[in-house]
This record gives sequence, C-alpha cells and structure tokens, in this order.
Amino acid sequence: MSKLILVVEDQEDNRRILRDLLTNSGYEVIEAVNGLDGVSSAETYRPDLILMDIQLPGIDGYEATRQIKANPDLNKIPIIAVTSYALSGDDQKAFVAGCDDYVTKPFSPRELLAKIRDYLP
Amino acid sequence: MNNTYSSTPASKIRSVSRRFSYAFIGVVTLILILFATAAIIIDSSRINAELEKRLDNALKLSYISLPAPLWNLDNDVVDDFIEALFLDESIVFAEVVWGNQVISKRVRQKFQQKDASYFRQSSQFIDKISNILYEGNKVGTIRLAMSRESVKKELIVTILGIIALTILIIIAIALTSLIITKKYISRPLLKLQESASLIAHGDLNTFIDKSSSDEIGLLAQHLDDMRESIKQLFSELSESKEKIEDYSRTLEQKVEVRTQALARSVEELKALGDVSQVVSSTLDLETVLANIARHAVQLSKTDAGTIYEFDEDAQVFVPRINHGVSEAFIEALHESGLRIGDKTVIGQAALNRAPDQVPDLVNVPDYPLSYVHQAGFRALLAVPLLRKDRLIGGLVVRRKTAGEFPAPVVDLIQTFAAQSVLAIHNARLFREVEEKSRQLEAADKHKSEFLANMSHELRTPLNAILGYTELILDNIYGDIPEKIQEVLERLEQNGRHLLGLINDVLDLSKIEAGQLTLSLSEYSLGELVQTVSASVEALASEKNLELRVNVPADLTIGKGDEQRIAQVLLNLLGNAIKFTEEGDVRVEVVVSNQTFLVSVSDTGLGLSEADQKRIFEEFQQVDGSSTRIKGGTGLGLAIAKRIVEMHGGRIWVESTLGKGSTFWFTLPVSVEHQKESR
Repeated sequence: MSKLILVVEDQEDNRRILRDLLTNSGYEVIEAVNGLDGVSSAETYRPDLILMDIQLPGIDGYEATRQIKANPDLNKIPIIAVTSYALSGDDQKAFVAGCDDYVTKPFSPRELLAKIRDYLP
Repeated sequence: MNNTYSSTPASKIRSVSRRFSYAFIGVVTLILILFATAAIIIDSSRINAELEKRLDNALKLSYISLPAPLWNLDNDVVDDFIEALFLDESIVFAEVVWGNQVISKRVRQKFQQKDASYFRQSSQFIDKISNILYEGNKVGTIRLAMSRESVKKELIVTILGIIALTILIIIAIALTSLIITKKYISRPLLKLQESASLIAHGDLNTFIDKSSSDEIGLLAQHLDDMRESIKQLFSELSESKEKIEDYSRTLEQKVEVRTQALARSVEELKALGDVSQVVSSTLDLETVLANIARHAVQLSKTDAGTIYEFDEDAQVFVPRINHGVSEAFIEALHESGLRIGDKTVIGQAALNRAPDQVPDLVNVPDYPLSYVHQAGFRALLAVPLLRKDRLIGGLVVRRKTAGEFPAPVVDLIQTFAAQSVLAIHNARLFREVEEKSRQLEAADKHKSEFLANMSHELRTPLNAILGYTELILDNIYGDIPEKIQEVLERLEQNGRHLLGLINDVLDLSKIEAGQLTLSLSEYSLGELVQTVSASVEALASEKNLELRVNVPADLTIGKGDEQRIAQVLLNLLGNAIKFTEEGDVRVEVVVSNQTFLVSVSDTGLGLSEADQKRIFEEFQQVDGSSTRIKGGTGLGLAIAKRIVEMHGGRIWVESTLGKGSTFWFTLPVSVEHQKESR
C-alpha cells in the first residue's frame, strides 16, 4: 500500500510539481490550499507525511504545524517545512513550531524526494 | 613732622664756645708758662751775675781798702773791713791770709764749723780768691764766699710772683673768652639751633634773628632763606598733593565705574554662557526659553519678560514663556492675539524688524494692552526674533519703573533674542530630524518588507520553472528528444543563475540595512571546510582539477555564524574552480594568535593589480562578459567581505596575472559580538 503525503501549498504550480513528482514516485498525494485546510485534511486523512509551506493565507505554516503537533493522534506524522530562503530564523522558527525537517524554496525535486525517502522508507 | 628731627640730648652736646674756650685757654696757658719759664731763667741768671758782680765789687773794695792796712800790718782795720763786708748778708766767709798766716777770718754763724774748702766745693756758694797788692807787692790773699741762699729766696719770690701773675692772666682770659664766645657764638648758635629744630618740626614760620652782622648772622640769613625755600616748596608740594589727591579721587571714581561695568559684563557673559550651555545641551524648548527669559529679566534689571513664538499660519504671536507675570496676565496675552503692526512694542518691533521701546506707559494713554499698565509696568522693550530675515517670534521685557532702556540693555536683550532664535531653530530642526528619522525608519521597514516579499514573489514562479524543468529532465512526463533536453539544461542553468542573483541581492540589501544578524554559535572550522569542499568536489572533478584540503586535525573549536562562514568559503572555492582551467585548487587553514587564517589558492587566470583592488566591490568580476558563462552574480565577494568584517576579520587577495590567485581571510577564533561592516 502506497504512502499518503499531504501537501499544504497555496501555489497551484508548486502543488502540481509536487503532485507530479510524488505520484510518479509511487506516493499517494492529497492537497490542501491553506493552513486551516491543511489541519483539517491532516485530521481527516491522517497522512504518513506532510509537506508544509510556511507562507499561507489565513493561518501560516507554523501555526498549522503547531495545531497538528498539538493533536496527540497526529503528532507522530513527520512534517517537512518548505521555507523561503534566507529569511533569517525561518529554519529555527520551523523547528520551534514542531517541524521535523525543512527544505528551502526553490527546492530541487530530486533532493526533496531524497529527504522524503528518509522518513518514508 | 615727627621726632626724627628732634635735637640730640643736651648731655651729648659739646658746646662750641666751651671747646673754643678750652683750646684758647690751653694755648694761652702754654704761652704764658713758656714766658714765665723764660723770665725765671733770665732772672735767675741775672741774679747770679749780680751776685758775682757783688762779690767782685767786694773784692774790688778789698783791693782798695786792704793793701795799706796789710802793708802796715794793721790787723784791726782788716778786721773792720771784713766786718763791713759782712754787712752784706750774702757773704758767708771771708779770710785774709798772708803767707800761711791768717790775718783775719770771719764765717757766718750758720757755717761756723766749715772751712774754706767746703765753700769752694759746694754749688751753694760762689767763692773767689784774690791777691792783694801794695805797690806791686803781694801783701796778702783774700778769699770770699758768697751764699746763693739769699738769691734763691729772691728767685722764689720772683717765680711765685710770675706764676701768680700768669694764673691771674689765664683766669682773666678764660673768663673773657668764655663770656665772649657765649655771647657772640654760643647763644646765637643755640638760637639758630632752636629755630632749625622748629623748622625741622615743621614750623616754617619760625622767627630767625638775623640782626647780627657776623658769620652767624650770615648763617641765620641763609637759614632763613632756606626756611623760605622750604616753605615755598611745602606750599608747592601741598598744592601738588591736593592735585594728586584730586586726580586719584577721580581715578577711583573712574575705576569704580569701570569695575561695575566689568562686573556687569562678567555677569552678562556668565549668563550668556549659561544660556548657550542650556541652548546647546537641552533640546527641550521650554527649559531653554525659560532659562533665557529668566536671565534676560535679571540682567536687564527688569521685572518681567515674555518670549513669543510667531505662529505663521495664524499670523499671531503666541506667548511661549513668561517670567514674572501672573497667570491672569499670561491669559490676557494669549487672548490679545498680538499681530505684526499692532501699536504694541512687539507689534512695532516685528513691523520694523528692530527693537522697540516705551519708556513710560503713562505717556502712552492709548496703549492697546491696558492690563500691562494696570499690572504696574511702566517701561517696555521688545526685540524681534529673526532667523535669516524670517520672523519667528519676539522677546519682551517689562519694568515697573519708568525710563528709557539704554543701548547696552537693548543690546543685551538682542543677544538673548539671538539665543532664543537659536533655541527655537534648534528645536524646530530637532522636530524635523525626528520626523525625518521616523519617516526613514518607516521607509526602511517598508524596504525590508518589500525585499522579503519580493524575494518570495520572485522565488515562487522561479520555483515552478525550475521544478517543472527538472521534472521534465527527469523524464517524469515521458522521454524527451536529446535536442530539447539540451535546451532544458540551459534553461535550468539560467534559472539557477537568476535564483543566485535574487539571493545575493537579498543578502546584500539585508547587510546594508543592518538587518543581517549573525547567529553566533560554536562550530568546527575543520568540519565546515570538509563539508564545503565535498559539495564542490563534483564541480572540480568535472574540470579535472585537483582539490586539496589542508586543515590541522586538532583545529580548535570556533565561535561564529557557521552558515555565513560556509557561504564565504563556498563563494571562494566556487570562484577558484570556476576560473581555473587546469592545475589545482587548495584550501588551507592555520590558526595563530586566536585567529583562523583561511586561504583558497588556485592556478587560474590570476588578477591584475587594478582588479585586485576592485574585486571586493559590488558587481565586479574580472571579465564582465564571463559572468553569464561562468555563473555568479558579481556580488559574492562583496557579500563575503561583509560577512568576514562582521566577524571582525579581514579578507584580501594576492595574485599574479596568469599564475593564479590566493584569497585570504581571517576570523577571530571566538567572535563574541557582531562588528559593523563598512
């Protein structure tokens, strides 16, 4: 049974790239377009991994991560933050919010895939 | 006059007349004694001669009287004759001898026992022997001795008489001379001395007796002349003295006036200094103006003062600071809404742009502000506050006593006005600066927000472009022809270049805005060098370049921003590989003196001296055209320099054109505080 990955991303193109990349690699992908949507999708689908964009409309990625990690049923799900490059402290903020790892945008699909495989062997 | 001129005590005086008398008497006495002695000597020899003459006479008498008796042997006659001779008291011995026979002999009773030889030998006596001849035949010898005794007595009487006479004469002369000198010398001299003493004591009107016609009279005359001269001198002196006293009195008054003026100046200077100090040290306008108003009132010896600020929009004077007036008065000033050209001192001063004063309000019954007079003020002085011909306010002082304000006071108030202008201007400038810096701060915040947003906005589509390209290249959307693959690779390269540009611009902007903060933590430079080298290993081997890393195994742990240091090293290594076609690239680290020294050397193109200087500036690359081919933004070294400097280090390059370059940078082993870059 293939693993389920939740992609929380407001950008259509980015969602599509991730979807194409991950689907092609054999993962099942569900998508959310904002923070609140991301939290409810996590509760509904209980994915095996979450790719969390940080800059999102409504509640941002940090807040969404905090809410998900606050849920005992969901706090085991690895969350990889997708942060903007060089905005100082973004990585730190991501870890503080509860993210397990992070990649900076723009990411190389190949590198991202490698990172995902670390969590979903 | 004091006792300096008092006469010497009488006991010490040796009277001139007495000294003269003594000398005179002494000389006279000496002369008299000499005369007396001479007289005595002469007299005694005369007496001796007389004695001898008497003896001779007695002998002569014998010659006459004795021959016959002797011839006749008439001894009695001889005896009688001797008897007769003895009537002369002086004759003490007489003897008439014929052969050995004494015919007659007689000796004075007194010398009965003596014989002839005694008389012959003693000096007390004169003795003479004579032969007595009778018709040429010797008939006997007569020997006579005469005593000098009687003569001696006579001589003594004579000498005593001479001495007595001499003494008498001496006494007479002494008395006379004493009297004469006393009368003609001593007394006039004493009188003169008294007069001189009186003159010496300051009595210049002393009478001096000049009646005498002798030398003393002359002396008196001269003394009197001297007294007259002194008197004149004194009168001249006292005149001069009065003049001098007069002059010094005037001088004292002048000095007093000057001193007061000076004290006033000093006071003014002190006040101005105080005011200047406050103006320059305080930006609180209220404090400054209050200080100015207080000093202005105090120094101009007035009772109240107001500093107005001119409200250009409302065209009225607004009292900003008041000194020495009631709240009601201030209220009234506010309500009066004073304007340029009003018939008030401030209105006129503002209109004429010059000081204006009212010496006495009593003389200006129609003065617009009746409450000023009612508050007890009589004299007013206003000075406009002008800044480069622009009216910014006014300074008014009020006095409760009438009278014109003298020029120095007007000057003083103008000086204070100038200080007020400065203070108001400073405060306005400060307000402007504050406003500007608030705006700047806001602009800065906007800028950094804009940069953050722009970076995100630029990256989002770029992310998509690069993402899709990579997916296509990975054949996720199916196999692609080789020709398209090549183009797609160029597309990806350019996309990554664009991304690098965006990142570098963002970094530099953040550094320039002071927004880049180093996150200082412990790091291992050895590991960092290994990691960075590993990440460029592929690039190097692609170009067949050898990458040598030489890091001491026991390199100390440092403190700094690991990510940023990695960025610097990556940039230098990337450049080295990029610009080297063959040979090797070496990274070396040494540590000394608590400083890491990192070098990145290559065997590439090298840099000209001019390029070495410019290389760390923004958008500088050795060959502008190579930028695109070689990749890189031209910002990497500029950013590296900033990062090194923020760590307190230094970066430089040594290079020979055509032979390669070595980039060096230092880092303090332990960076505790971020330094300023540029």
